[in-house]
Amino acid sequence: MSKYRVTLRPALDGKQPIQRNGVSLEARPEGTLLHLLAPPSTNELPCFSEYAANLSLRPVSPGQWFAVGDTALPHADLQALASSLKSEADIVDQSHGRIRILVRGPMAMRVLAKGTAVDLAIFPVGHSATTLIGHITAHVTRIDEDAFELIVLRGFAESLWDELVQMSLEFS
Amino acid sequence: MTPYRLSSGGLVDRSKPLSFSFDGKEMQGFEGDSLASALLANGRLLVGRSFKYHRRRGILTAGAAEPNALMTIGEGGRTEPNTRATVQELYQGLTAQSQNRWPSLDVDVGALNSLLSPFLGAGFYYKTFMWPAALWEKLYEPFIRRAAGLGRATYEADPDGYEKSWAHCDLLVVGAGATGLAAALAAGRAGARVIVADEQSQAGGGLLSETATIDGKAAHAFAAETLAELAALPNVTLLPRTTVFGWYDGNVFGAVERVQKHVGIPAAHLPVERLWRIVAKEALLATGAEERPLVFGGNDVPGVMMAGAMRTYLNRYGVAPGRQVAIFTTNDTGYALAADLEAAGIPAAVIIDSRSRPAPSGYNGRTRIISDAVVSDASGGKALSGITVRTRNGSETIKVDALAMSGGFNPVINLACHRGGKPQWSDEKATFLAPSGLKGLSLAGAAAGIDGLAACLEDGAAKGTALAESLGYGSTQPSFGAVTGEIAPAPAKPLWTIKGVRGKAFIDYQNDVHRKDLGLAVQEGYGHVELAKRYTTNGMATDQGKLSNVNAIALLAEARGVSPAEVGTTTFRPFYTPVSFGALTGTSHGHHFQPVRKSPLHNWAKKNGAVFVETGLWYRSSWFPRAGETGWRESVDREVKNARKNAGLCDVSMLGKIEITGADAAEFLNRVYSNAFLKLPVGKARYGLMLREDGHIYDDGTTSRLAEDRYFMTTTTAYAAGVMNHLEFCAQALWPDLDVRLASVTDQWAQMAIVGPKARAILERIVDADLSNEAFPFLGAAEISLFDGAVHGRLFRISFSGELAYELAVPAGYGESVADAIMEAGREDGIQPYGVEALAVLRIEKGHVTHNEINGTVVPGDLGFGRMVSSAKPDFIGKHMLAREGLNAPERPQLVGVVPLDPAKSFKTGSHILAKDAAATLENDQGYVTSSCYSPHIHSTIGLALVRRGSSRHGEEVMIWNGLRDEFTPGRLCDPVFFDPANEKLHV
Amino acid sequence: MASLVTCPHCGARPKEEFTVKGAALTRPAPDASQETWFDYVYLRDNPRGAYQEYWHHTSGCRRWLVVNRDTATHEIFETRDAARKVTA
Ligand SMILES: [Zn+2]
Repeated sequence: MSKYRVTLRPALDGKQPIQRNGVSLEARPEGTLLHLLAPPSTNELPCFSEYAANLSLRPVSPGQWFAVGDTALPHADLQALASSLKSEADIVDQSHGRIRILVRGPMAMRVLAKGTAVDLAIFPVGHSATTLIGHITAHVTRIDEDAFELIVLRGFAESLWDELVQMSLEFS
Repeated sequence: MTPYRLSSGGLVDRSKPLSFSFDGKEMQGFEGDSLASALLANGRLLVGRSFKYHRRRGILTAGAAEPNALMTIGEGGRTEPNTRATVQELYQGLTAQSQNRWPSLDVDVGALNSLLSPFLGAGFYYKTFMWPAALWEKLYEPFIRRAAGLGRATYEADPDGYEKSWAHCDLLVVGAGATGLAAALAAGRAGARVIVADEQSQAGGGLLSETATIDGKAAHAFAAETLAELAALPNVTLLPRTTVFGWYDGNVFGAVERVQKHVGIPAAHLPVERLWRIVAKEALLATGAEERPLVFGGNDVPGVMMAGAMRTYLNRYGVAPGRQVAIFTTNDTGYALAADLEAAGIPAAVIIDSRSRPAPSGYNGRTRIISDAVVSDASGGKALSGITVRTRNGSETIKVDALAMSGGFNPVINLACHRGGKPQWSDEKATFLAPSGLKGLSLAGAAAGIDGLAACLEDGAAKGTALAESLGYGSTQPSFGAVTGEIAPAPAKPLWTIKGVRGKAFIDYQNDVHRKDLGLAVQEGYGHVELAKRYTTNGMATDQGKLSNVNAIALLAEARGVSPAEVGTTTFRPFYTPVSFGALTGTSHGHHFQPVRKSPLHNWAKKNGAVFVETGLWYRSSWFPRAGETGWRESVDREVKNARKNAGLCDVSMLGKIEITGADAAEFLNRVYSNAFLKLPVGKARYGLMLREDGHIYDDGTTSRLAEDRYFMTTTTAYAAGVMNHLEFCAQALWPDLDVRLASVTDQWAQMAIVGPKARAILERIVDADLSNEAFPFLGAAEISLFDGAVHGRLFRISFSGELAYELAVPAGYGESVADAIMEAGREDGIQPYGVEALAVLRIEKGHVTHNEINGTVVPGDLGFGRMVSSAKPDFIGKHMLAREGLNAPERPQLVGVVPLDPAKSFKTGSHILAKDAAATLENDQGYVTSSCYSPHIHSTIGLALVRRGSSRHGEEVMIWNGLRDEFTPGRLCDPVFFDPANEKLHV
Repeated sequence: MASLVTCPHCGARPKEEFTVKGAALTRPAPDASQETWFDYVYLRDNPRGAYQEYWHHTSGCRRWLVVNRDTATHEIFETRDAARKVTA
């Protein structure tokens, strides 16, 4: 064993969940986030769920998906998944590069409308889109009727969190 | 005589008195009052001084077009000048100050300007102050500055919050008067997503001032009932206190909601204003019509008011305008006022009707009517005292203390013209109507030139229904029952030029433009509407000519003997009413000014004492001061020397990082870099040069081949986003047939440079791999593990410093921990952190370029990179321009080093290079210093420069000229590599 | 204040999400004449009316688009993915 102890520092270390009237903010666990890259004409990855049933697939762009899970995928498992999936897509590990924030509650839509021009009222559950939230690019997925999960570049995570805190101030 | 509050009536809540102050005087009003109605109820007629002549002015309107009653509201950081008292809701403790007067509103020295008025006429800026020029700065400009603009902004910070929001709807209804409510109800009932925006606190618009009944109900009760139904519909959003100020591309409307402008101390968790961007499939303007003033002498004496405004004060606020009221009208609307005055027990003294046979249906009152007559002049000082009435048979003076005027109505079509459409003159309506053929926007009710409550309700309902249907929501059109007791404004007979006028007859009240000014404009050849506007400043005040434009155009037309259609109109532009900078800024100030991008090593740097510098959005470590060091240079010199002697650790996580995969990745790289990439072996890194299509260098960096079809590219920090966009362009737009896939992994990796002769020894303690020179030589690249497999990362043997150096990338969340471990592992070897200042010194000592040198004007040859342009490749970005004559000219600036002859002397980046004995002129300029620093190894300032034929001039003495400081430093051009030119340290 | 561009992949989005590059010209073949290359790099039409430009949906799907818009009215007639070749 190495004499050095390595620890993981989450990007939103120390940011306690925010509970307001009708909306809450929560940093999601930094588990697994894989960037799947296929040719842009690819409409689906039929084999994916077979190899990674515990990861949820979210469209990013033509031929690109994020595969998201709450727990970290061991290095060997990632290698194995990458080779299994090779014929469908290349995998780029972004588990540390992208941070997830959950915005939940009946006012979640009102909060997010302060940042994004995407019409979330007609945004079905399970749907994803990348958009600007204020000045920060974020990937939005409606994971439930009243819940949106945002995926943001790690370097901007703290700024986006601060923005969301400000945007939800109305409901305190 | 003065206005006063009636003992009953109106929609104000008399059980809720509010106190406020005006110019320091305490007054009382009621909840539901506007500041204007409360001032009138307190007998305050004189509320402001005019802009140019400092004339006494009273309240003219009851709405957004008010040109006179502009006040400064609030105190301290909440001070807001130029607030229109007519739209400001009264609140407990409101403080208002009049403007543009000194020492007081009643006694104003500036009023002497009136005596100078012959000199202050139209074009006075151009004429009066043209000569002598010497007087401009000392006399004229201060005078104009003091006179210009009403009110004063505060210097204190605004303590309140602002925000922005997007909204989406099928139908946006602008205005919640009769028309808007009817339309919203129709579309709302049909199920369409409707947003109703109205500038007032209470929906209803003209219904709140109306005495007619709808289906037997009071008009205001009808409004309240309709509003309640709308509020109950889940698909309808009501935005009260919201002014839609602009119509933009994509059918987006800008609106500002005054969330808390009607309270003294705003709640901290709410914004005071919210800026909306409303995306509407369809929009319906139900913005009503603006009543036109009549242009007679003294039409600005306090006590002269728009007839509709007088009705509003009377019916909505329970405020009588005076005791002896005259009504001057060109249409039937004056009779509605007469009827209301009679009902309130203060019958009007006289109606002066410009028409020869007035026959308003529905008016049964007993007021004296003088037909075929005009008011040519109103007289009075602080308050109106009398009017001169002219008929064909002569003139008569009548004593009155209030005068209502109505010159007809202008549909409020401003929004409809914001996207370039021109208003269209209607002879029938004697006014301008909205442009035809608009997409996504239509008009209804008075805004569409329709007269009368019943017709407006019908039109609103019909258009609301039709729009809902066009959007796929079928419904039946609502009907509202009979309208009883209404006297509609039609028919109108326009009256532009009034004969026999003696006093100043104002057109633009806010900018003090009167009728003679327009005459002068025509006479002097500025009769075109755009010229006249600028010559007279008509319509250029903050009210943008809401009351004055049509009168000005019609008067210009009469003066020129043409139709107003021929005169045309000036352009309507956003904003409809002024919008505060606060609302436009939203949350983007202070902590939220712009996003901050933090490195995964930010905390590591912080605990090591870094001084941070903002570079773009990033916070980067500049240097790491130690106790006892007296200045940044001392710290930087230490960091530089230590890196070359022992080891240094620098955070380079900000470099752009792009993962490139796909079967054609190698071919792709070969086409985007100027040098060859096809044969880069797996496990190797290569320095690459990216050109623009015009042959100039775009960016540089290293790309490593991690697997047959997987590459890891680094870009400069500054161009990280740009390079990613560029690569995506190449992959998607230029060569979509290549199988290449790109992912930005900048944020995935914490990347650190471990630099110096002891770098290998230190890294060997944490990396689970053989790092010997044989196993991992210069330009090696490998996926490795650390700490016995605890962390997986990537290691590159690349060097920006010229030392034995590595760049280690680990997943970002482990960055701090790994950096800590490296510091610990290297403690006995003397490792120290270093920042971007030391990084710069190290690279300048080695003659390595950054975007200081890659400044958009250089081609590879200029920097000595000629060999990095592959001649074997058939194609790469930039190849086809490189042969151009100018890019190969012998006189081109080339990269060269520069040192001062006297090491005790220094020079600055940006200094220019002159031949040794040349004069300091632009003509003699030979180039400039692109980078410079103090080198603790050379013991002197050193610089890189782009100098004409620089590479063949090593050793030549030159003069380094800092024109800004007028400093001259004798210097010498030299090899740009100052340190270890044989690269011996790199390969150990 | 605002204007919207309709991305074929993402729908209508505010222009702030996009980066505009300029005329959507076809890159000449590597062996095209110098004249052709000069035109491609330097020569631009400046029409009043319809104009095809490359726009990048930078803060969205990150696809490059060809946007056909009216330079006078800003009306957008059509947007398509830049990888989709159209035969003129
Ligand atoms: Zn898109």
